[in-house]
Amino acid sequence: MLIAKNVTKKFGELVAVNNLSFEVKKGQVYGIAGPNGAGKSTVYNLITGNYSYEGKIEFNGQDITGLPPHRIAKAGIARTFQIPEIFPSLTVQKSIRLGSRFGARGGLDLEHTDKIISFVGLTSERFQNTRLLNLLGKKKLMIGAALATKPEILMLDEPMAGSNAQEIKSMMELIKKINQELGITIIIIEHFMKVLTELTETLLIIESGTMICCDKPEIVTSDPRVIESYLGDAYAESK
Amino acid sequence: MVFEIIDVIISGLINGSVYALMAVGLTLVYGVTKAFNFAYGSFYNMGGYFAWMLLIPVGLIGGYFSVFFVAIPVFFVVGYLLEKILISPLRKHDDWEMKVMMLTLGLSLFMDFGYQAVFGPRIKSLPGMIEGTLELGQVVLFHQDIVIFILSVGGMICFGWLLNNTRTGMAVQAVAQNPAGAKIVGIPKDFIFAATFAISTIMVGLGGILLSQKTFIDPMGSTNIMIKAWVITAFGGMGSISGSLYAAFILGMLEAFVGWHFGMIYVQIATLTLLLVTLTIRPRGLMGRE
Repeated sequence: MLIAKNVTKKFGELVAVNNLSFEVKKGQVYGIAGPNGAGKSTVYNLITGNYSYEGKIEFNGQDITGLPPHRIAKAGIARTFQIPEIFPSLTVQKSIRLGSRFGARGGLDLEHTDKIISFVGLTSERFQNTRLLNLLGKKKLMIGAALATKPEILMLDEPMAGSNAQEIKSMMELIKKINQELGITIIIIEHFMKVLTELTETLLIIESGTMICCDKPEIVTSDPRVIESYLGDAYAESK
Repeated sequence: MVFEIIDVIISGLINGSVYALMAVGLTLVYGVTKAFNFAYGSFYNMGGYFAWMLLIPVGLIGGYFSVFFVAIPVFFVVGYLLEKILISPLRKHDDWEMKVMMLTLGLSLFMDFGYQAVFGPRIKSLPGMIEGTLELGQVVLFHQDIVIFILSVGGMICFGWLLNNTRTGMAVQAVAQNPAGAKIVGIPKDFIFAATFAISTIMVGLGGILLSQKTFIDPMGSTNIMIKAWVITAFGGMGSISGSLYAAFILGMLEAFVGWHFGMIYVQIATLTLLLVTLTIRPRGLMGRE
């Protein structure tokens, strides 16, 4: 469904992503992890057209290399950010409708947006100003706005960051629902390894923009290279 | 004395309304792109010269009605092309906001000297839109001032409606409030940047047509307008449209009272004092965000 072929991104002398190739299959929950500065968010920025790069990215057989972000959103790839990005003067409903109005193929779909508001659990806050939402609410709103674009792939960037145990549980349930009930392929960047091992079917570990390992989570978390460069001995011993 | 003060208030309101129309456009560009358009005053003059050309040498039938009808699409295209041809290529570079400021500063000088070369160094005057006065007791209002006030306020109401009720308006708000959030929902940022420049060019151009009837068209007068727009934008809060509206009327009143009480020579000093005091005491302005 999404294939990256020999993708490289340099910022001056710094090689942020180095000859990276991977494939995300339809219906998967695909995890990406690695140390801070490994290039995980840069990979997202490359897929969503925010940076130019060497190599090629294909989505559903179509070459999306060089397309601008709004065209990629329209093609069916949506993303969220680590820090919830909201429109502070708009209500929850209007923010989610923006996603449908601009990102969705076929334009504004009020029925769909109402379903999305309910799906992400913001029905009672629908007329509330977005800046009044708590952190979990803002994250759900961001996901809702992305879902309103009717994506085939949803890319989540550290959705658990800053959340407590209850919020993590709630977010994991939502991600599973999006994947299973809406049939949307998920790519998730996350630092919580337990979250990744529970949610994902394939896990890609990168360091300094280079792939270290890509396999099933149980294999990846036992790989000596991953333990050495990312997880540490304490994680291996706790398993 | 009382009637003099009423006259001063009316003058402040009329000037404030036109300033608001102009400054909101500049604020909009800053709010969306985070770049400051230093050629804004020169686009004000473009409005004045455009109306002068159509009304005097061309003698356009229909007077100001026809001028506005032609000006709005022309100003839109000028603003759109400005962004696409001159600004957009700069956005590919680091620190592009600073480069845009330098470019628009150069553009402003180019336009001002261009006006001088084409229209000559002497000031030009526009005919009034409407003649006559309205007498309310001892208060006398020029019909022209009433029409300028109505058109300026009407222009702002139209702008507010478009911003809140159209697809492009919603996208402009979204990009201004959160460019990253706008990406999530698939808003085409390049088009919105260009549309924002186009809308702001319409607003300042119309401001130029309206206010040039009360003052004159001076080829080198853009600096004066730029200072006003800059003060309003900083005083109201960079990027805050509602802040700019309040600031425009406050500046209009300040100018009217200072001009009446101390003399016109002190108006610019008062304007710049307002800017310096604001930036010292409250750098984010009246309604700007930290």
